[in-house]
Amino acid sequence: MEPPPPPARAASSRFGAALRVARKELVSSLRDRQTVIYTFVLPICMYPVLFWVMLQGFLVVQGQKERTETRVGVAAVAQDAIPAGLTNALAPPSHGDTQTNPVQVEVAAAPHDTGGARAWVASQGDEADAERPHAVLFLPGPDADAQLFFDSTESKSVLARERVAGRLPGFATKLRSEAATAASVDPLELDPIELRSNNVAPKSDSGALILSMLLPMLLVIMSVMGAFFPAVDLTAGEKERGTAETTMLLPVPRAAVHEGKVLAVCATAVVATFLNLIALGFSAENLIGLLARSAQFEVKLPVLALFAVAPLALLFSFFVAAVLTSAAGLANSFKEGQAMLGPVQLVFILPAMIGAVPGIDLDLRWALVPIANVVLAFRAMLLGKELYLEYAVTAVALFVYAILATRFAVLLLSRESVALSSSTIPLKRLFSTLRSSGDTQ
Amino acid sequence: MTTEAAILAEGLEKTFHDPQRGTVEAVKGLDLECRSGEIYGLLGPNGAGKTTTLRMLATILAPTGGRATVAGVDVATDPLGVRRNIGFLSGSTGLYPRLTARETLTYFGELHGLAGDALRTRVDELIEIFSIGSYADGRCEGLSTGQRQRVSIARAVVHDPKVLILDEPTTGLDIMASSDMIDFIDSRRAAGRCVLFSTHVLSEAERLCDRIGVIYSGRMLAVGTLDELRERTGESWLEDVFKALVREAEPSA
Repeated sequence: MEPPPPPARAASSRFGAALRVARKELVSSLRDRQTVIYTFVLPICMYPVLFWVMLQGFLVVQGQKERTETRVGVAAVAQDAIPAGLTNALAPPSHGDTQTNPVQVEVAAAPHDTGGARAWVASQGDEADAERPHAVLFLPGPDADAQLFFDSTESKSVLARERVAGRLPGFATKLRSEAATAASVDPLELDPIELRSNNVAPKSDSGALILSMLLPMLLVIMSVMGAFFPAVDLTAGEKERGTAETTMLLPVPRAAVHEGKVLAVCATAVVATFLNLIALGFSAENLIGLLARSAQFEVKLPVLALFAVAPLALLFSFFVAAVLTSAAGLANSFKEGQAMLGPVQLVFILPAMIGAVPGIDLDLRWALVPIANVVLAFRAMLLGKELYLEYAVTAVALFVYAILATRFAVLLLSRESVALSSSTIPLKRLFSTLRSSGDTQ
Repeated sequence: MTTEAAILAEGLEKTFHDPQRGTVEAVKGLDLECRSGEIYGLLGPNGAGKTTTLRMLATILAPTGGRATVAGVDVATDPLGVRRNIGFLSGSTGLYPRLTARETLTYFGELHGLAGDALRTRVDELIEIFSIGSYADGRCEGLSTGQRQRVSIARAVVHDPKVLILDEPTTGLDIMASSDMIDFIDSRRAAGRCVLFSTHVLSEAERLCDRIGVIYSGRMLAVGTLDELRERTGESWLEDVFKALVREAEPSA
């Protein structure tokens, strides 16, 4: 017979019990290979690999770009304002069989003003205007800078702009020298000929725009992915391993057990989300920068936005963890849990696409809509918008949703028919399950 | 043996709603009294309601009727108080596979209110008593069935519970592991604890039980010592006693 144990301390608080359960579940969860892969390995390795692939793709695209022909229109306020030799400067004759960066120049038959030159640029996807130039060089007269109209959203237009911007300075220097010689002055005494680029596409920061569409969606996806396996492992996986009954015997309130599980899932989701964002930041700085220098868009690492979004990401992960834990709790095996969460994760990921929809911005109404609010808030932060009230409302709303979702998880997982079910409960029986008797405490 | 009722059930009922079978009455007004220092065997065929009864007493399931107390604590109104006073073991109370035996004992000890040196001392004691030392720091998923059984028992008694509830504790065990389990149950009686266990291995019941309750179709058919049951049925072998009681309750059986 074993000796009796020493006297026990007073029972710990419910929160203390939940923390102990969470600690054990975390230890257990982090010993699961899939969880470790999704929480640590994937975030650290994914972006370097992703951007390396992008870099390789960029090099291939670069080769194709050099062979792509572009059309450049030349227009002026008066026909005699177009200097001789400009056409040759923009479209130099080839010195071999293959011409790199070919440009076809079309000089306007009649004088233009600024508006006419701008309107002459082919708009994106406008097949009817297939013959219109991709970019237009407009010469407003001897006292004003030359202007180049292009569409940043159209790849050939961007290419045409690059070629004009690359070739025009040499020609302008030559003109300046000739003019200086004619006037018997030093060329430096003459005003230089400047070229101003005008983007006919809606004014926006392309780099920030791209990030603002990409990162918020990524935040949602990474949070869901980070919570996915732990949620299944700690609920359906537990039933499959035959330890659900053991957990029900823990001498703590059942609510603390389920809250502990949600906390453990939340912790892995948060770790995965932040590791993803940090790894993305480092990779973007080192690899996207290489693309950006040539791609005419500027990618600036949004460090402040990443810090600013941290509290919202934490609350969102809490919400995701509670929802995924509830859903996975209906399944009876790891495999069925994964199948169950498939559609549930789409419920998160599809609304996250709202971040890429033009015309929808964070306001007080959107701040109350779960998922959309965190996406739009992060997007607004990336674009530098100072919507402090909307951010605060988003945080409060996410907190309330997280608490409600956790309450729901506790309510659902405490049902006998869920905790001890011998088969997976389909989602369509969710509400009848909630109405059924047998709430274990 | 003392006469204090460590487990008391009066008119205990459990009704489920099953999507396929409709309403199922698993336990129908069951009375049961188990005293401290007593080993009480619950005997019955599969589906008789043994596991449901034990699960209700262990607060895994909530009763739908009647009342029950364990160690003087009501299972319906204070299930947490009941769990603090019982050790429960069944074929489906598995060990956390990714925790070591030591971590498992520490976790349960911690949740039972032990801490610091007291917790470490208790865990070390259990490891020694149950001869777990050679595999105490290996993950439970790598243990043999017998080793797991030892860790499970140690887990169930980490807080030295007043009441032990064991649901078919020897099912699936080999001869040596079964023998260890039987020795353990016997030792609990000597320690003055109450042991309620279900089985359909009649030799175990004959060897261990101070009293036997025969349960069939959710109802308690008879309770008594083996001699009392023999006297009541006129049969000498427990197997025949059991069959006679079932026939008495349900002539067509």
